[in-house]
Amino acid sequence: MLEVKDVHAGYGNLKILRGIDMNVPAGGIVTLLGGNGTGKSTLLKAISGLIPLMQGDVFFDGVNISKMKPHHRMRLGLVQVTQAKEAYPAMTVEENLILGAYTRRDREATKADLERVYDFFPVLRERRKQLSGTLSGGEVQMLVIGRGLMASPKMLMLDEPSAALAPKVVLEIFANINRIAKSGVTILVVEQNVRMALILAQYGYIIRDGVIMLQGEANKLISDPAVKDSFLGGTVADTSKALRN
Amino acid sequence: MGFDFNSLLAFIIFGVTIGVVYGIVALGISLIYSGLDIVHFAHGEMYMFGAFFGLVLAHNVGVPYPVALIGAMILTALLGMAVERVFYRRLTRAGGGYTVAGMGMIICGFGMSVALVNVAYFFFGAEAEPFRANLDYIPRLSFPGDIQVPESYVLTAIISVALMAALHYFLRHTKTGLAVRAVAHNKDIAYLMGVNVPLMISLIFGLACGLAAAAGVLIGPMQSVQVEMGYLMLMKAFAAAVVGGFGSLPGAIVGGIMVGIFENLGAAYISASHKDIYAFLLLILVLMFKPSGLFGVEAKVKA
Repeated sequence: MLEVKDVHAGYGNLKILRGIDMNVPAGGIVTLLGGNGTGKSTLLKAISGLIPLMQGDVFFDGVNISKMKPHHRMRLGLVQVTQAKEAYPAMTVEENLILGAYTRRDREATKADLERVYDFFPVLRERRKQLSGTLSGGEVQMLVIGRGLMASPKMLMLDEPSAALAPKVVLEIFANINRIAKSGVTILVVEQNVRMALILAQYGYIIRDGVIMLQGEANKLISDPAVKDSFLGGTVADTSKALRN
Repeated sequence: MGFDFNSLLAFIIFGVTIGVVYGIVALGISLIYSGLDIVHFAHGEMYMFGAFFGLVLAHNVGVPYPVALIGAMILTALLGMAVERVFYRRLTRAGGGYTVAGMGMIICGFGMSVALVNVAYFFFGAEAEPFRANLDYIPRLSFPGDIQVPESYVLTAIISVALMAALHYFLRHTKTGLAVRAVAHNKDIAYLMGVNVPLMISLIFGLACGLAAAAGVLIGPMQSVQVEMGYLMLMKAFAAAVVGGFGSLPGAIVGGIMVGIFENLGAAYISASHKDIYAFLLLILVLMFKPSGLFGVEAKVKA
């Protein structure tokens, strides 16, 4: 469904991504893992069109979207869910959700989707008239995912849905991501919480310094010593040793 | 000196009427500030052009006053959108607000102000022209104590309030208004929601300049219309926006009304020849005691 071919991108003259190849098949959950400053968010921005590509191509549903503006890519069904802190705090929960359906003209289906989002996240229904600035961290995360769903996406890209949340809340969010995937939406989830992400996803990519360092089936990656060392408690020295081997 | 309650009331009523006009210009300045993080220093000239467009439509073309008002708003909105598209867009794309490009934007705004004034000299000449509007169908308002409010003031108050209500409805209760607010808060997320951000920025500029034009056509029949009228209006509207809290739309209106009242009372009780000082006196007082303005908004929740 999403194909990234030899993508180079960055900010101004600073190149962050140095030749990324990635493939997200329809109907699955793929995770992109990496620490801070490795290029995860830059790749998402390059895919959604917030920053231009320096080189390479991005295909969505067989269409080359490399030169499209972000709001046109979004209309194809490729929807990026931003980090939780980026809800609109001065808008109510419901206004945020309606904004998610901004491009849609089918009123009835939009209304049904609003109900569906409220069924996914009942707490949002309770707080629908509240300003989203007053929500807790977990609730805002539910809100931005719900807002993404309101666009009726074919594919959702989630940017660190577990960031700064309590483990119990993370579990709830991930269970919901799984339900969304089951309902037929393809998912690319960018994460730092490696263990949780690899349990959720079928396939994983690990990015480091702007290149894909490792990729594979999620259940294989989770027991891979290189992954274990680099993320699951290994020290920096262990990591660089493992990389050289 | 005997205190006359009726004349105090009269000064306040006139202050409020002129204040709502400051308020709608300030509303435009605040709208542009929330939308693009820039202060538009050529906004006074939009007000001036609006007044001239209205004048030309009413006198030379001969349309009725309300049509001239709407026509002037549309023409000025188009002028503002063109100026934004051709001159400001490159700078705002490089980053607004507090960046180096934002500094360039301030200079560019001043330059645009001078350029527009000279364009106006070329087309409209240097003489102040009276704006004769036939407003006989508007009733005069009579307040107790034999205070008579002229037609043009009544009309100004009604139209200003209607414009504010329309803007409020647009921003709070329509989907496009929601998109405008989304762009004001964060352009990247708005893009990801599928909002056509450049189009919304044009719309913000058009709305703001249309509001300034309305103010120009409303002030026209009270004072005369002339090319240099924009400077002082910009300063007063700016004071109003800051008094109310920069970026806050209700603040712009309340700030405008306060400036209007303050100015009228100062002119009446202190010195009429220093009428234009009082707005800035109020500005300094508010900045001393509440620097964020009366309705000061945090950068995060503007618009």
